[in-house]
Amino acid sequence: MTLADTSSRAGVVFKSLAAAAGVVLGAYLVWGLRSLIVPATVGGLLAYICRPLVARLERSRVPRGVAIVLLLLVFVLAALVIVNRIRAVMPSDADALELRIRALYTLNHRYEALMGLDRPLTRGNRIYRLMHDDLDPLLDRVGQLLALTPEERAQFVASRPRGAHDAPAGSDRLVEYERANVETLERRARAALAEPATKSAPRSLAASAPTPAAQTPLAALGDILSTWIMFLFLLRDTGEIKRGLLRTVPNRLFEPALNVLADLDRALGDYVRGLFLECCLLGLTVVLLLTLIGVPLQWAIAIGIFTGATNVIPYMGFAAALLSGLAYALLAEDIRPPLPMVSSENFVIWVIVAVALAELLKNVVYEPIVLGGAVNLHPLVVVIGVLGGAVLFGLVGMLLAVPTITVVKVLVSSTARQLKAYGLI
Amino acid sequence: MKTKFDLPGIKKLLLRRPADTESLDASAAPARALFGPTPETAVAEKGSSLVDFLKQVTLFEDLGRRDLRRLARIVHERDYHDGEYIFQEGKPGATFFVLRRGLIEVVREGSSGTEVPLAMLEPPASFEESAAMGAESVRWFSARARGPVSLLTLGKSDLDALSVNFPLLANKVLMRLAGIMAIRFRMLLDAQYLKESEKPQETDQ
Repeated sequence: MTLADTSSRAGVVFKSLAAAAGVVLGAYLVWGLRSLIVPATVGGLLAYICRPLVARLERSRVPRGVAIVLLLLVFVLAALVIVNRIRAVMPSDADALELRIRALYTLNHRYEALMGLDRPLTRGNRIYRLMHDDLDPLLDRVGQLLALTPEERAQFVASRPRGAHDAPAGSDRLVEYERANVETLERRARAALAEPATKSAPRSLAASAPTPAAQTPLAALGDILSTWIMFLFLLRDTGEIKRGLLRTVPNRLFEPALNVLADLDRALGDYVRGLFLECCLLGLTVVLLLTLIGVPLQWAIAIGIFTGATNVIPYMGFAAALLSGLAYALLAEDIRPPLPMVSSENFVIWVIVAVALAELLKNVVYEPIVLGGAVNLHPLVVVIGVLGGAVLFGLVGMLLAVPTITVVKVLVSSTARQLKAYGLI
Repeated sequence: MKTKFDLPGIKKLLLRRPADTESLDASAAPARALFGPTPETAVAEKGSSLVDFLKQVTLFEDLGRRDLRRLARIVHERDYHDGEYIFQEGKPGATFFVLRRGLIEVVREGSSGTEVPLAMLEPPASFEESAAMGAESVRWFSARARGPVSLLTLGKSDLDALSVNFPLLANKVLMRLAGIMAIRFRMLLDAQYLKESEKPQETDQ
């Protein structure tokens, strides 16, 4: 073995060790700074979305710094308007109690009507026989959430006009509802006791499900600060980060690296633009369909905006539309649908049909046209990614799952393609 | 000799085939017309800052100070050592180059597999403009550093991004790129035409 061979082998060993140490150090840093990953990514994504707006202002001869300040002012104003709107529609304590009474009454009433339940709540129609094992525990949980505690009941009674609670039946509708709710809960409890022990087991299991630990205010403040710092830092950047990154690349890899970055930029841009358009279209469809079945326009718009906003998380738009639509259907007392076949008895079913139709349109029409091949991920990959994101980083993890998978996918495929094209592999 | 095509970095057109035709590939003659012969002296850096330098480049000479500053924010600076390839013939191309410091040797592989020198470039020559404009460009020659070289490069993706964010500026740059490519095409046609018109004379001799 010659001296040159020994030296070459030592060089390879040294490089391998250095690379392994680099990987270990990188993994350690990522793990150590994992709490910063999500806020940094959210800030980066926000900056990426806002970059064209800053460029547009810059094109109109507004200095970049001023453009960023203007954008921040718009954000703050929008946040203030939204908070004020939410505060305006938030019910007071007394209103919240009334809302819960009305919701529980309507829920019980509609459930009994739909399932054809008898007075003791033990026998029903075919639908009931088929589904009551699954639906009863769910209804019990919702009932527990909505039912008033003794203290709340006392507060409610105190808030009614003097003598209303002892007044004859029919003189105060809400008091009547509250009485009916108490009676129904008692009947349900008796019916549950009459059931075999095996059937009541899931109810107690469901009730004891653990709830996720709430984030401390200090940690939340830290996350918000990190997000904004990253947002401002990246928005202020005029390409130095990209050029700095490319400066570290050897000359022979410069063009492939530039092409990979361009592919990443294109994929992320297509995804963000496509998703925004898809959310708008889904929201609009929900508004139209809900209005058609008799939901008042203002509530249809609110549900549409909520659906569009939550659609950034895969499958969440559908769930949000369904839940908010059903919540409205349960609370609504007076429905005036333009379609003659919709009535207050079958309104819940029509809400489900409308939301399912909107979801179908999204999957069959909007997604292929608007998103096209921008994402092109297998549904199983999306589901696993979203669940993994939820387990690791909670709600924000779910939000970032698809863009992250998209970036990784494009990074790997584009790198391989470029290296092959340039004869480097 | 002052040519009618005023392209910095190309001092003189090589319209005639050199005397030592035996050592060169005849098919490379028109290609050589796109560049100039080896300059006798290397040109030193003419501007101190990047913006000052960009102002001297033919491509960007019409641009205002603000546009040049924007352009300076997106160009990439690359340094090469002596003998290092800037790019190689047959490989894909996605960027064009402006020579800032040093000399670049332009070569092409001849039919016998040997390298045929085509030209030597000096600052502020720009080359491979078509790579930044075309979708699927393949380099038709190789460029190699002669001594330490400093280059500015602008990729197709950079120009695409510029078109989205600053369309007027991108339009100016693209118009200049197209203009330079048109001049090069005319030079190529002229060289081809002269080469063919010289052929009977060479046969007669």
